Amino acid sequence: MSAPTLEVRNLRTYFMTDAGVVRAVDDVSLSVERGKVLGLVGESGSGKSVTGFSIMGLVDPPGRVVGGNIFYRGQDLATLTEEEMRALRGNRIAMIFQDPMMTLNPVLRIDTQMIETVLAHSSVSRENARDRARETLGLVGIPSPDERLSSYPHQFSGGMRQRVAIAIALLHNPDLIIADEPTTALDVTIQGQILAEVQKLARERSTALIWITHDLTVIAGLADDIAVMYAGRIVETGPVDLVLDQPAHPYTHGLISSVPSANRRRARLQQIPGMTPNLLRLPAGCVFRSRCERADDACLQGPALVEIAPGRAHRCFHPLQQLPV
Amino acid sequence: MSAVIPQDGAPLLQLHQVSRSFGSTPDVAARVVRRVKRSFGAETASKTVIAVDNVTLGVRKGEVVGLVGESGCGKSTLGRMAAGILPPTHGQVSYEGTDIDSMPADARKRAKLKVQMIFQDPYSSLNPRMRVEDIVGQAPRVHGLVSRRELAGYVDAQLARAGLDPTLKQRYPHQFSGGQRQRIGIARALAVQPHFLVCDEAVAALDVSIQAQILNLFMDLREQLDLTYLFISHDLGVVEHLSDRVAVMYLGRIVEEAPTEELFNRPNHPYTQGLLAQVPRLERRRSTYMVVKGEIASPLNPPSGCHLHPRCPHAMPRCSVEVPLLREIAPMHRSACHLNDMVRAGTPALQS
Repeated sequence: MSAPTLEVRNLRTYFMTDAGVVRAVDDVSLSVERGKVLGLVGESGSGKSVTGFSIMGLVDPPGRVVGGNIFYRGQDLATLTEEEMRALRGNRIAMIFQDPMMTLNPVLRIDTQMIETVLAHSSVSRENARDRARETLGLVGIPSPDERLSSYPHQFSGGMRQRVAIAIALLHNPDLIIADEPTTALDVTIQGQILAEVQKLARERSTALIWITHDLTVIAGLADDIAVMYAGRIVETGPVDLVLDQPAHPYTHGLISSVPSANRRRARLQQIPGMTPNLLRLPAGCVFRSRCERADDACLQGPALVEIAPGRAHRCFHPLQQLPV
Repeated sequence: MSAVIPQDGAPLLQLHQVSRSFGSTPDVAARVVRRVKRSFGAETASKTVIAVDNVTLGVRKGEVVGLVGESGCGKSTLGRMAAGILPPTHGQVSYEGTDIDSMPADARKRAKLKVQMIFQDPYSSLNPRMRVEDIVGQAPRVHGLVSRRELAGYVDAQLARAGLDPTLKQRYPHQFSGGQRQRIGIARALAVQPHFLVCDEAVAALDVSIQAQILNLFMDLREQLDLTYLFISHDLGVVEHLSDRVAVMYLGRIVEEAPTEELFNRPNHPYTQGLLAQVPRLERRRSTYMVVKGEIASPLNPPSGCHLHPRCPHAMPRCSVEVPLLREIAPMHRSACHLNDMVRAGTPALQS
């Protein structure tokens, strides 16, 4: 069996700030196979975006990857030189950001930016690069791509801009795409269009996808597997149906119950009390302890990630689901 | 003057055929350019955006009306007119059956105070240089709702009701999280004892678990204070959960309006049907997303006739010529689509 497209083992990314060490990503392990979609779910400050940046090698000081390994098709990325990493980034591994203007340069035309990206990783002529750019814009559903190539980013609507950003990520047919909340700022109709394109990609081109979001409903429709993050740690992971229908971790359960459509109309929503902890002052033991109704003295010790079935694990002493007999 | 007491079922707040357009006021340079262009015989039509186009919407006492639509459809503009922040270009806004503009000054002031607004972004809607106690306490003091002596206790009560610890009232907004700031915004609105709240994307910027807390707070306040809401959101899941009745807007017009169950179970307008099909839901797994062609047209240059016709799968020649009227198609259910005439004429009914 070949290695998964991406495997992350015990990743730790810390930020050494003046106020102290922020453990933004603490002991995160995950893997994605070819053609599969992994949904990485968490609220603000859970470390889901930093996980994505760590994989891309884009963590800036004061942040640093302080531990763990990231394997791309069996190869440890930490052993690569910056030169080799550059050859991979944007080529085999691409990232889509929440704000497309993080990808696009406002003062350059779309064709300039796309051709530059093509030429950065392959030695083709400018004409071929332009053809490739046009073809990819068409792929993400941009009408009349030939004309649009000579437009500037400000001439596109938000949804169209995000498509251009996605097209740039696709230029080199990457093996892995990390998408960080790419549809959060968009209307449902535009979100639906983009999800449709992304699904097609995973299916037709066997691209592996990590979809980072806080929106469980999007994950439900898109992902094969799901990993739930809380305060820098993965608290539960597994196949999407199992995790959503039989959540083991109280936090996962709380998140699912907070979704309005999971509740009876006009009934009070089940809510998780309190708020996400300050990463500078994390309590000892289970990080979810202070908000959890199942917590007791056992939770003063930090629970380890326990595998309860192949590919299914949680980090809780009092899970809602027990080991299958 | 005593306020007109609404009869049972009469709207507390009524927007009657309101329109709002925005045009740019040309500055000196623009006027010079226009004059030069004209001297060369060029056309110089000034650009006007009709954000809201002849909308009538009533909200009854105690009701929660959800207003949904894509960005740029005019739902926020409509909300601002309801809240009295923005005057309509045409049409009237009436409160308890009386046109607000025709009220004497003091009655108008009182009526306007009864309608308050809660904004989307808890980061930009609070003055960063004011302490929370002043943010919440200023308006009730100015409007004479409390005496200076009672103010501290009054502010504490408002904060506690919004779920905030009153001992934090000396702090500034930046010392709070997003969810807490939204609670400050709610306390500020409640401090002037409103009857009607306009919530414009009030939970859109919040995390899922915090969003649930704030939605619960809205529902609790509705019961405790007998509040009426106009709840504006692009999130259909939230609107479905909270609202008694839902209005769907597209490019400045209401295209469909019905009680929540009716709208979500039997959407009539092709736009509503398309919108509902796109809503991601927990129980929809590995769904194949359908591609709805195109996106919302520019309000600067809206399509003729029915604004939806370039995107509509059922469009016919009539749709690009004639604006469909919002008409009752079932009790309490109004929709603006020419297809409904064909149903009446005996052609098979449109099925979702």
